[in-house]
Amino acid sequence: MPRGMYRSRTLRRVFVKTPGGRTVMRYHRRKPSKAICANCKKVLIGVPREIPSKMQNMPKSSKRPERPYGGIYCSACTRQILRLKARAEVVGGAQ
Amino acid sequence: MSLYEIGRLCLKIAGRDAGRKCVVVDILDNTFVIVDGDVRRKRVNLKHLEPLNEMLKLKEGASHEEVKKAFEKLGLSVWTTNPKKVGERPHRKRKSQQKAAREAKPKRKEKSAAQAVEGKEQKKSPAKTEKKKKE
Repeated sequence: MPRGMYRSRTLRRVFVKTPGGRTVMRYHRRKPSKAICANCKKVLIGVPREIPSKMQNMPKSSKRPERPYGGIYCSACTRQILRLKARAEVVGGAQ
Repeated sequence: MSLYEIGRLCLKIAGRDAGRKCVVVDILDNTFVIVDGDVRRKRVNLKHLEPLNEMLKLKEGASHEEVKKAFEKLGLSVWTTNPKKVGERPHRKRKSQQKAAREAKPKRKEKSAAQAVEGKEQKKSPAKTEKKKKE
């Protein structure tokens, strides 16, 4: 019987083949859910799905796209927002 | 199409330069223009631009310097890069080079080095004499 902490499914089970030919069960931490757009809930591209400790060691530029709202809104929603903002400014300037 | 004339101030919507202002410098065809200003000077699809109210007085194919002057009048910043110079990073020297550098050091350190050498010789010399005696 495994230890109590290994009996729940908080840790995912991974079967690994050892050099000796045996298959061994290892316990790995589960990855967090995929990053989604705050507006349209689409899965974001360019945002890695890693556990926080690994994300800490990554450079900032590889953790999210390098544009305004990168890692929060998807590219299509970013375009929409920037466009609306620009148009609001233009209208304000005309008045 | 008529919106995107030469000198039209635009907002870039897509890509790395998204959210930055730029100016149309040249028109290539119905879909592409060349853009400069607070963005990298490059060919851009019109779908990636949002026109703004202002027009700048620029010639066709205006240089970056001309665009910079026009932008500074409006109080806008311009995309600038400061590339690293070649050979700026300190490189590890070879041992022969290190020796040469050591010899070129000021006198004070040379003296101490000379003293150390003398001290070594003094230590060595009695040992040698003892050996000779044994022989």
